[in-house]
Amino acid sequence: MTSYSKEVLGDLAAGKLPWPQTRRIMSAYKDDDRFFKMVAVYQDRVAWKDPILLPVSDHLFICQSGDERITRCECGHSFGDYRKNWKLNAAINVRNTEEALREIYPNSDLPDPEWMEIREFICPECGTLHEVEAAAPGYPIVHDFEPDLEGFYREWLGKPLQET
Amino acid sequence: MLDKPASALRLRERLLDSERLMEETGCYDGITELTLRNQDPLKFETLHTKLRAYCVSAREMARRISASPGVREVGEMVVAIYTPEGDAIALSNGIMVHVHTMSRFIKWMIKNGYEDNPRIREGDIFANNDAFIGTVQVPDVMDVVPIFHEGTLVGWAGAVCHELEAGGITPGGDVCLAQERFTEGLFVCAEKIGENDEIRRDYVIRCERNLRMPIYWVLDEKAKVASCIDMRESVKQLISEIGLDYWMKVSKEFIEEGRRAQLARTRQLTVPGIYRGHTFYGHVTAGKPGFQLLGDPDWLYNIPIEMEITTDGKITMDFEGTQPWGYHSMNCTPAGMDGGMFVTLTQHMNFEGLVNDGAWMATELKLPHGTWTNPDNEMVATATSWALLLPAYGVFQRLLSRSFVARGFVEEAFVGQVNSPMIEMGGESQYGTPFGMAHFECAAAGSGALAIKDGLDTAYVGWNPESDMGNIEVWEQSMPMVYIGRSIVPNSGGAGKYRGGCSFVSTWLINKTSHLRLHTSEHSSRVFDNAGMCGGYPAPTCQKHRAVRNSNIHELAAKGEPLAHAPGIDPHVSDYERNIGGDHVVVEGPYITSPHKSGDIFSHSYNGGGGYGDVLERDPIKTAWDVENGFLTRQAADQVFGIVLKDDEDGYPIADIDATAERRVAMRKERLARAIPVADWIAKERGRVEKAAFAPEVKKMYASAIKLSSRFTREFSDFWNVHARSIFTPGARP
Repeated sequence: MTSYSKEVLGDLAAGKLPWPQTRRIMSAYKDDDRFFKMVAVYQDRVAWKDPILLPVSDHLFICQSGDERITRCECGHSFGDYRKNWKLNAAINVRNTEEALREIYPNSDLPDPEWMEIREFICPECGTLHEVEAAAPGYPIVHDFEPDLEGFYREWLGKPLQET
Repeated sequence: MLDKPASALRLRERLLDSERLMEETGCYDGITELTLRNQDPLKFETLHTKLRAYCVSAREMARRISASPGVREVGEMVVAIYTPEGDAIALSNGIMVHVHTMSRFIKWMIKNGYEDNPRIREGDIFANNDAFIGTVQVPDVMDVVPIFHEGTLVGWAGAVCHELEAGGITPGGDVCLAQERFTEGLFVCAEKIGENDEIRRDYVIRCERNLRMPIYWVLDEKAKVASCIDMRESVKQLISEIGLDYWMKVSKEFIEEGRRAQLARTRQLTVPGIYRGHTFYGHVTAGKPGFQLLGDPDWLYNIPIEMEITTDGKITMDFEGTQPWGYHSMNCTPAGMDGGMFVTLTQHMNFEGLVNDGAWMATELKLPHGTWTNPDNEMVATATSWALLLPAYGVFQRLLSRSFVARGFVEEAFVGQVNSPMIEMGGESQYGTPFGMAHFECAAAGSGALAIKDGLDTAYVGWNPESDMGNIEVWEQSMPMVYIGRSIVPNSGGAGKYRGGCSFVSTWLINKTSHLRLHTSEHSSRVFDNAGMCGGYPAPTCQKHRAVRNSNIHELAAKGEPLAHAPGIDPHVSDYERNIGGDHVVVEGPYITSPHKSGDIFSHSYNGGGGYGDVLERDPIKTAWDVENGFLTRQAADQVFGIVLKDDEDGYPIADIDATAERRVAMRKERLARAIPVADWIAKERGRVEKAAFAPEVKKMYASAIKLSSRFTREFSDFWNVHARSIFTPGARP
C-alpha cells in the first residue's frame, strides 16, 4: 500500500516538496492513510491544542473544542459552530469601485463594479485572507461547505466521532 | 443485412431493459457481480488496455487524415468504443467531453426507431451535430458506425472532431451571432451519411455548398470514418479471439467496474457533505451590428452550483437558481452539461483504472427545466455553449478541490478551468479564395492555481486535457494574418499564494486580403468568471480587444522604427497607441464590426486562471523570477503581493526578504484596519437590497432567478431578511 511519512506530507502541504517527487505522488496510487497523517501535520502547525477534525481551507480547520465543534483559524481565532457559515463571523473588505479593484489588478482591464464586486473574508485577529468571493452586488454570501462530519468519520474512516 | 443482436431482443428493447436493470439493481445492466474480473483479473485488465490502445491509435491515425489545424495541431478529436446500447466502454485521449454526448446520440437513434428506418446495417455511417440529440454545439460533429460480428450488432465505434467552420451566420465554428438554431450553421441530425463504409456523395455536396471552408469538415469526416473503421476491425478481430459471449459480457463489466471505481474514488479522495459555489457571466451587445433585438441586449447570468457528496460516493450537481435560456448562442443542452461533467471527472478522479461511461453513471446532474442548462425550447442556439459551460465546470472543479483539501489530498486541488474568449474569422483568404475558420490557439489558456503550486501557464483548457495552442506557422497558412507578437500576459493569473496560470496575447498584421471579418465569441469585460480559492483572487476579467485600422506599420518597418508586439502593461494606453499610427480601436467583447483589410492590426488576449491562498504568503523568490520572466509586473509584486524587489548587478530583480516581511506586516495591519465585521456590512448592504439599488442587468438577474427558483428566492430572502419577490418582481403572482 502506498504510504508517505509525515515529513513528506508536511513538505507537500507547504509546497516545499521537489517537483519530481510531487509529480510521483500525483501519479501514484493514493495513500489510504493520508487523512489522519495530514491532520497530524496540521496539528503540529497550529499553536492550539483542540484536536483538528477536518481541514476546510488553507488556514481554517474544524476542531473539537470542549463539547463544541468549531471552525478555527490557524491563529486560534474561533469562527463559531462549524455548521454555521464561518464567513458571517469574519471581517470583510469589499472592492466595489474601480479604484479598489485597481489595487489588485494594476495592469489589466477591470470588470464593471456595478456588475461585480470582490469580497475579501479576513480573520479579524490575524488578518489572514481566508476566502475571496467575486459576486454581483446584493448576492448572498455563500456558505461554501457543510461537511457531513459524522457520516465521514463513521462510514468512510470507520472511526465514529464521540457524541457531543 | 438486418440487425440481429446477440440477444433475442431488438436494440430498443435491450436499451430499455438495460435502463430498467440499472434502476432495479443500482448496477449497470444489472451486473451485481464482476464475474469475469474475478475469474481472471489479468485478462480483464489486459482486454481493456487493448481497447484503449485501439482508441488512441485510431485517433492518432485519423489526425493525420484531417486538413484542419484544429484536429491536426491542437487535437480537437476524440474516439470511443460503445456497447450495442450506446454506453462507452473505452475512449481515447482528446476532447473527452464527447464520449457521453456520443452515447446520447446512439441511444437517441435507437429510441427513435432507427432499426426500422433508416435501419442499422453493417457499413452504415451515422452523423450528428444537433445538441438536443447529443453533442455540445454545432461544430462538434460526430460519426458513429455499428460493429457487427457475424451478423450480430456487438457495439459501435464513434468519433468526434470539432470543426473550425460550421456555415453559420458568422464564420467559424462557435457562431457568436447565432440567436436561434436557424443561424447556427449546417445541422446534421442523426443522419445516415454513408453506406458500405463510404460517405454518400450527396452528403459531401451538401457540406461543400453550405460551408465556408468545406475542406476541414469533409476531410474530418473521412478522418472520423477511418478511425471508426479502424476501431471496428480491431474489435472484430478481438472478438474472434475471445469469443462473442465473452465480449458481450466483458464489455459491460468494464462499465460497471468504471461505475464502481468512480464511487470508490469519491470515497477515497473526498469528504461527504454539501459544497456551494457560484460564478457569473456578462454579455454586452447593445449597439453592436448584427444582433437582433429578441431579448435584452445586455445581461448578467448567475450560475450557482450546489454539489452534494453522499456517503455512498455519489456526486450530485444542482444548478437550481440559475438563469433562463435566452436568444443568444450560449444555451446548453443536457447533453452538453453531461459532457462538461464527464470531461471534468476524467481529469480529476479517473486518472487510473477504467475510464468510461461508468464514471458518468455514478453522478447526477439536476438541470432545472427552462434554464440555459436545460432549455424547454429546442429552437434555441447552443453554438457557444462553452461560454457558460466552462465557468460552470470551473466551479465544479473548485468544489471538488475543496473536498480534496479537506481529505488531505492537497496535490489534487486545482482552482479550475478557465473561461477564455476565442477568435473566429472569414472572408477573403490570403490566396484570394473564400474562407472561414475558428482560430483554436485558445486551446492553451492559463489554468487555475493548485493548492501546492502555481497554475499552468498557456497550457490548459478544461475541454481538452491535451492542451495545445498550435504552431504559429501552421495558423499563418490558414488565415490572411501574420503574427507580429505572441507573448505572456503579465498578471493574467489570479493573485494568491500560488498564482493562476498566465495566458497569452497574440498580435496580428492583417495581410493579403481586402475583406477579413474578425469576430470574438461572447465575452464581455463586465465580470470575473475565473474565481480563486481559499483566499486567492479571481483572474482578471476578459481583456478588451485592441485594433489599429489603416496602420502605418509598413512605413515604420521600412524606416526600422520600433513596432508594438503586445498591448503592454498600461491599461489606459496600449503600446500600439504609443508606437503605431492609425485609427485605434478599443472594444469590449464580443468584437463584431466591419471587415478588416491588409495593413490593419488586431490583438486578442486569452484568460488566465484563479489564484489559491493568501497573496501575502507568496514566495518572494519565485515572484522575482516571475517578474524577470514577464509573468508578473513589478507593480503587482509590490502592491498586490507586498514583495519588495531590488535589482542585482545586472539589473535583474531579486527579492529583499527582510523588507518584504516588514512590508507584509504593514499590509496585514492595513487590511484589518480597512475591514469591517461581516454583520455590519450585511446591515449596511441590506438597505441597498431593499431598494434594489442595482444596475438594471443585476436587477433583471435577480428577478429571473426568483421567478424560476423558489429555493433561490427563499435563500435570498433569508440571507437579507427581506421579501425578495416583492422587491424584484413586484406585482408578480406568487
